[in-house]
Amino acid sequence: MNKPVASRWAQQFPQLGTDPVPVDALLSAEYFQREKEKLFKRTWLKLARVEELPQSGSWKLKPLPIWDSSIILVRGEDGQIRGFHNTCSHRGNRVIWAEDGHGKDRRFSCHFHGWTYNLKGELVHVPQEEEFFDSFCKPDNGLAPVAVEVWEGFIFAHLDPQPAVSLKDYLGEAATRLEGFPYGQMTAVYAYRTVLNCNWKIAQDAFSEAYHVTTIHAGSFPEGFSAKLYEVQLFGPHRTSAVYMDDKGPTPTPVAALSHRLGTTSIAKRGTRVALPPGVNPTRSPNFAFELSVMFPNFLVHIMDGLYFTHQFHPLSVDQTLWEGIQYFPPPQNAGERFSQEYGQVLQRNAWLEDTATMEATHAALKSGAKKVMHLQDQEVLLRHHYQAVDEYVNS
Amino acid sequence: MSSDLLPASYRHLEPWVDRWALASQAERETTRRASTGAQLKAFYDALVGEGDGIVAHLNALPLDQLPAPEQRLLYLMLSLAEVAPHVELYRGDPRVPFSFEEERFIAEHGAAPGFNGDLYALPNRPA
Ligand code: FES
Ligand SMILES: [Fe+2]
Repeated sequence: MNKPVASRWAQQFPQLGTDPVPVDALLSAEYFQREKEKLFKRTWLKLARVEELPQSGSWKLKPLPIWDSSIILVRGEDGQIRGFHNTCSHRGNRVIWAEDGHGKDRRFSCHFHGWTYNLKGELVHVPQEEEFFDSFCKPDNGLAPVAVEVWEGFIFAHLDPQPAVSLKDYLGEAATRLEGFPYGQMTAVYAYRTVLNCNWKIAQDAFSEAYHVTTIHAGSFPEGFSAKLYEVQLFGPHRTSAVYMDDKGPTPTPVAALSHRLGTTSIAKRGTRVALPPGVNPTRSPNFAFELSVMFPNFLVHIMDGLYFTHQFHPLSVDQTLWEGIQYFPPPQNAGERFSQEYGQVLQRNAWLEDTATMEATHAALKSGAKKVMHLQDQEVLLRHHYQAVDEYVNS
Repeated sequence: MSSDLLPASYRHLEPWVDRWALASQAERETTRRASTGAQLKAFYDALVGEGDGIVAHLNALPLDQLPAPEQRLLYLMLSLAEVAPHVELYRGDPRVPFSFEEERFIAEHGAAPGFNGDLYALPNRPA
């Protein structure tokens, strides 16, 4: 079967409207402040994968400027993953200074005066404890926790240690429809990151539509991808869509053809898609490329047969964003699969270099104030929904 | 010159080993950027017709226990993956045309502390 018939999204989602979108949300420091306080500090954010904390005592430090904090993620002796602010209960020094590691003696010790915490964040040792006063109660002075929950191996955290909504309820149908994909088996990881001098929404927008493919990706994907989105669905602030190849694509180049023969490792490879949950590529079209799912606010998950990749956009300030793009493959079983992964991975990296090419220039040009709005077409429906969802939080 | 840089049936590719048998993606990327279009094309032409044969040879051996000559041969193939888009898609441009500054893309899998050249030695290092 071929790809589904294109839809007119404005008719399907009249609540999104068709008006131009004001660019103020990309430039205003005041709006950014409200995003920080009313959106990012009040939603679940993806921080890591469970494979990053392989055993009891493994920890990883996740700097989160949008929370004005760094979060220690640690796997306890009970196997559970917990999260704590990296702030000592004594006089507030950082407890951990490295990026990752293994809790020495299953404990963390502050370098300033030696206060020591166990893997559950409990304060277990205070040098000269007898010199403190009645107002100090050791059991009340563990590390400050954040809420941590795991969905399909993705570790999410919430700044409120007792959030009103669980991760499962927050993600809802946006998550359940992606369940069952073998994320945990895809442990060959290629991760890229860079700091982009642009608003986080400018960066995220470029990965939320296929309209740009024929121009921006004229180099790496000269033909083959449809510039429309398919199967768009909205789930509260979250959203999903599917990207398909055109019915007739180009003849693969010699090395692309070799890579396709040796593995299912390129987003430009056609074929039977089998390892996908039933709601993804429901007709099992060989033209299916990948699912484009956005877990609000800033985490994109793309699943396809044979691999998945994610994007995340961490706002650093109104005009700076830390972007992370990560590709996950099954460990290669032989040299042919290894080669195939390298080719697919390199081409994807190059496409990301094309995607990121316009972001800083866009932000700089918009700062001129020359344009007050942007005109979104029907196939930019995910952007329209994103701006509306952000606005709802910001104005709540 | 040592005569066993590469497996016996691939000795004719030995002139490429010095420049292109590179263990990490970061090194392959840097070498590609430092090459001219003509250099990329020459390397590509030398390897592209051999791909199926090389892979058949390497696939007969366990990936994590390749002897040194076979390991170099695999590195040449990974360099072919790095170089191919520039020859096949970018008209010989050694950089990705109309792209972000590649030097600012930090590849964690290539730049992680303790990285020993094997991308799979650090399988779980997403950012
Ligand atoms: S600030 Fe950590 S022990 Fe004093
Ligand atoms: Fe793109």
